Amino acid sequence: MMTLAQAGYPAAMGGATLGHYLVVSAILFTLGLIGFLTRRNLIIMFLCTELMFQASGLALIAFGRYHMSFTGQTFVIFVLTVAAAEAAMALALVVLLFRRRESLDAEAWQDMKG
Amino acid sequence: MGQFIQPFLMFGLCVLGGGGVLLALPRGGKSPQVLGALGAGLVLGLALLVLGLKAGEQHPVPYFYIFSFIGLGAALRVITHPRPVYAALYFVLTVISTGGLFLLLSAEFMAFALIIVYAGAILITYLFVIMLATQAPEEGEIEALADYDTSAREPVGATVTGFLLLALLTSFMFKGLPNVPPGQAASTEALLSGMPRLVEQSLAEHGLIKSGEHVALDAGKHAVMTDAGVKIEGAAGERYIAKSEWPKDLEVTNIQRVGFDLLRDHPGTIEIAGVILLMAMLGAVVLSRKQVQMDEEAKRLQALKLGEGGGA
Repeated sequence: MMTLAQAGYPAAMGGATLGHYLVVSAILFTLGLIGFLTRRNLIIMFLCTELMFQASGLALIAFGRYHMSFTGQTFVIFVLTVAAAEAAMALALVVLLFRRRESLDAEAWQDMKG
Repeated sequence: MGQFIQPFLMFGLCVLGGGGVLLALPRGGKSPQVLGALGAGLVLGLALLVLGLKAGEQHPVPYFYIFSFIGLGAALRVITHPRPVYAALYFVLTVISTGGLFLLLSAEFMAFALIIVYAGAILITYLFVIMLATQAPEEGEIEALADYDTSAREPVGATVTGFLLLALLTSFMFKGLPNVPPGQAASTEALLSGMPRLVEQSLAEHGLIKSGEHVALDAGKHAVMTDAGVKIEGAAGERYIAKSEWPKDLEVTNIQRVGFDLLRDHPGTIEIAGVILLMAMLGAVVLSRKQVQMDEEAKRLQALKLGEGGGA
């Protein structure tokens, strides 16, 4: 059992264990994707992208642990940064869109074609 | 590395899970949502059980199953709950259990940073926007759920796509991971030699070096570590402190390692992250600025009100 304040880095993680974490990460990503596709509430759609960020972070850290490298954890810091920036921009946009149509429905903006 | 799981079992679980999620999605009016959620949860538990049975000698700790069950169950509720506030709160649960999984992967700093940044900061912003962007119910009226919250868009297509992707993503489970060899940890000595001040401080605290003595540095400002231990210089000449005599707490913690990796190997990316955050802040300020339209009379009243408040 690993302790919180480790004395030294723990022993190498087996490939079977890596597989477990990757499966959990894949299921989390899939749930986020399905949520993004099916929900019509703009805020919940962005919440689902955050779910996918979580899944990618989990995969990065699991691989980092497997390879005994800390770059995985460093990269998750940048994933967090991008998630925070995305949340700020997306929520500002959502507030703006809500003021225009008084609705959070993504389909209220169906007429917006490029 | 061999198979973890039979392909037909894996695909069967994917199909069953897809069916459960499909049933659990909100459909407007009456829908077998509870049944679907139960089914999806059952498949999830089954998948975890199969993973547990197939793990062989290298079992993940039991906490792995608990955290992943809570996390994935909460994620299912995030995408199926018709009320946005509840979905956001379930997302907090997912974040906390992902933090638990990070702890199991001995990424303590990231686990707590995740909980502080996600559950503490980002989710609060989401909750604020959800509350801002939801009309209050009229007096005497029962709070009605918006139509766009109670019915899913293209549930069948999305679920099929999602679980096809899942089947592809998890196909490594029956192919194995043959080309991904596990890495070796950098030795503690190698890392400590890059932090001579930490070593010196720890040795001084435990009375192993006297004042006037210090850790010898090589040309690259690294501590000199040999098989005999760490080299100490001082007025009384040179000596070595062997690894067996080092204090027990002279270790590189997770935060120190992450910080080392971040600042030594990726210094430029921090600057880029700062620029991204700055641009996001500017963008959010520009986007959410609203010109308040007030006529002269309203302005006069507002000024009067403010004047009264200031004078009191």
